[in-house]
Amino acid sequence: MKRNKVLIANRGEIALRIMQACLDLDVEFTCVYTREDSNSEHCTEALKKGGEKALYRISSYQDPNELFAVADASGCTAVHPGYGFFAEDFRFARRVEQRSKKLSFIGPSWKVIQELGDKINTKRLARKLEVPTVPGSDKPIFDDLEAEELASSLFSFQKEMGVEQPVILVKASAGGGGMGIEEVGDLDRFRTVLRRIKSYARRQFRDEGVLIEQRIFDFNHLEVQILGDHHGGVVHFGTRNCTVQSSGRQKRIEVAPGFDPENISYAFDASRVLSDITEYSLRMAREVGYDSVGTWEWIISPTGHPFLMEVNTRIQVENGVSAIISRIRGHEVNLIREQIRVGLGSRLGYQQKDIVFKGMGIEYRILAEDPDNNFIPWVGRIENFSWPDHPWLRMYTHVPVNRPYDIPTEFDPNLALGIVWGENLDQAKRRGKMFLDKLVLEGFNPSGEPLKSNVDFLRRNTDKLLVF
Amino acid sequence: MIDITSLLEEIKKAPYKELTVFTPHSGRIEFALKEAGTTVHGASGVWNEKPGTLLAYLTREGNRKPVYAPEKGELVMFHDIDDHQFVQAGTPLLKIRHFLTKQEVIDIILKKALHLFLAPEKGRYYFVSAIDTKLKAKGLGHVNIRQGDEVLIISRMKRETVLVYDGPGGIIYTTYFNSSDSVEVGSPLLGVCPNNQVEEIKEVVARIQSGWEEKQ
Repeated sequence: MKRNKVLIANRGEIALRIMQACLDLDVEFTCVYTREDSNSEHCTEALKKGGEKALYRISSYQDPNELFAVADASGCTAVHPGYGFFAEDFRFARRVEQRSKKLSFIGPSWKVIQELGDKINTKRLARKLEVPTVPGSDKPIFDDLEAEELASSLFSFQKEMGVEQPVILVKASAGGGGMGIEEVGDLDRFRTVLRRIKSYARRQFRDEGVLIEQRIFDFNHLEVQILGDHHGGVVHFGTRNCTVQSSGRQKRIEVAPGFDPENISYAFDASRVLSDITEYSLRMAREVGYDSVGTWEWIISPTGHPFLMEVNTRIQVENGVSAIISRIRGHEVNLIREQIRVGLGSRLGYQQKDIVFKGMGIEYRILAEDPDNNFIPWVGRIENFSWPDHPWLRMYTHVPVNRPYDIPTEFDPNLALGIVWGENLDQAKRRGKMFLDKLVLEGFNPSGEPLKSNVDFLRRNTDKLLVF
Repeated sequence: MIDITSLLEEIKKAPYKELTVFTPHSGRIEFALKEAGTTVHGASGVWNEKPGTLLAYLTREGNRKPVYAPEKGELVMFHDIDDHQFVQAGTPLLKIRHFLTKQEVIDIILKKALHLFLAPEKGRYYFVSAIDTKLKAKGLGHVNIRQGDEVLIISRMKRETVLVYDGPGGIIYTTYFNSSDSVEVGSPLLGVCPNNQVEEIKEVVARIQSGWEEKQ
């Protein structure tokens, strides 16, 4: 392990967490940054903890040639892609391992990413293994007539099922994380939305393929956290509930475990649902030989029917909320550390029975945005950012607390993740609100208007967490 | 209308600009020119298809990429970088002293003569598809916009918002943004010429064409 050096091919809080995990494992690292990120804490920390040779400026996080040049110049032996950027790009993962100067890819093997990273392949595999999926297309659609035909059949299907106002979703097939999705209630509007999504997808992803699916209303969004190694070991780290989202379907609060059947009454057997989705996820993970961290995302209908949405073949933003409730031989888990360990060839070294879940975790995603105005991102300068430390709180942020920080507009708008732990949901919620009450986040935009944040939105939504 | 004569006189007092050439990305640098005082030329041709003078090669992952002079001028200074050294993205390599061209002088003066629609926020900008289609079909100088028209889309943090034009009606005479680059708040996006001033603007351009002498 020690002879390895990891290129952290990402930015912000995930770069910081990967850096810390490397330090914990006594593995060297190299960080990269672009001009827009020069004031990020991930740069400051890289210099502080790794020295001058631990930080390289690049032109883009999305230029693989440049990342490889930095990896070679700095003597790296492995690449950690973090999330976003190249994390789920099987071509990049393949190139990491097959270039003349081979490196280790800290993520699933490229074949696994190719098979599961694609929503379409995932759906086909799920159907083969009798894992329930959302009704709709199982391949990207480029032809408008084909899209219209499928949309029409999904409207008819819902009407036959007794749905009074059928709705379908039009998604950019290359999208993810809730971007490039719109819902439509009639065929006339469908044509306009289809054009808009294709145009958005062409601009943002350079791929205008779309997926069309039935919209399931009033659902809960659950996830199963999986970890596998290169030696056939596969375990899970429980479930998460990610139902509290922005209007653009961006997650804002995650809770682990995904339901609380001991204290909240559900219209269905919630324990059974949690156990079913975990079993389905493990079934698929074993089938493909899953060999890193990964997340199986589920929609749970109000009647307790689960539908697999997609598999994220990467470490996710919300990994920490699963980690904070997981113990292996009495120690709190760090999933990024586990991912690096197995990515560098180690065996898991434990079995499912060694993983114990304790208490409840809540993760708050803190953003500068206007929840009352369609969650429009707020752009400007953060002047004050602080919070009191607690033993039950993990705070991850790339925003400096000792100097002003201009929010870059080129990336996702997450500023910080606050993860709280409680013995039970009530305690976790109380602590969560205490954390939000004491959080200071202030700043101004170029017009002198004060910073807008989602802190009140997070506070408002804390009371109803896990209620379905 | 603006006073073209005094503006031209003002520009003539400092007709140069100094351009720093930075490394576009990381890699190993290999200089093709090494002496200050060398004259270089920029990209030319109808579509800028003829590259400028070769300044250096930058190699990353076996890919040797030429770095060309962006403008014509004279090399006035080299930064302290060794040949074959690994350099990070954005490293300053050298400086070129460049004499303003007619087109650049026209751009400077048009920025004062036209109504500038400024970026209200930092982000990437695109034309809405209706305007984009018209511009592709008719070209700059032929597409009218009015106050309240949906003209641009601002994209930041992967969120897109339609931007309504605020200003006097007129034709889109020139654009100042590139959809692949982020635009700073307050930077000009469009130069709009009110319909009744088109002839005056054409006259301004003609006067600069005849009144500015290009130098190397």
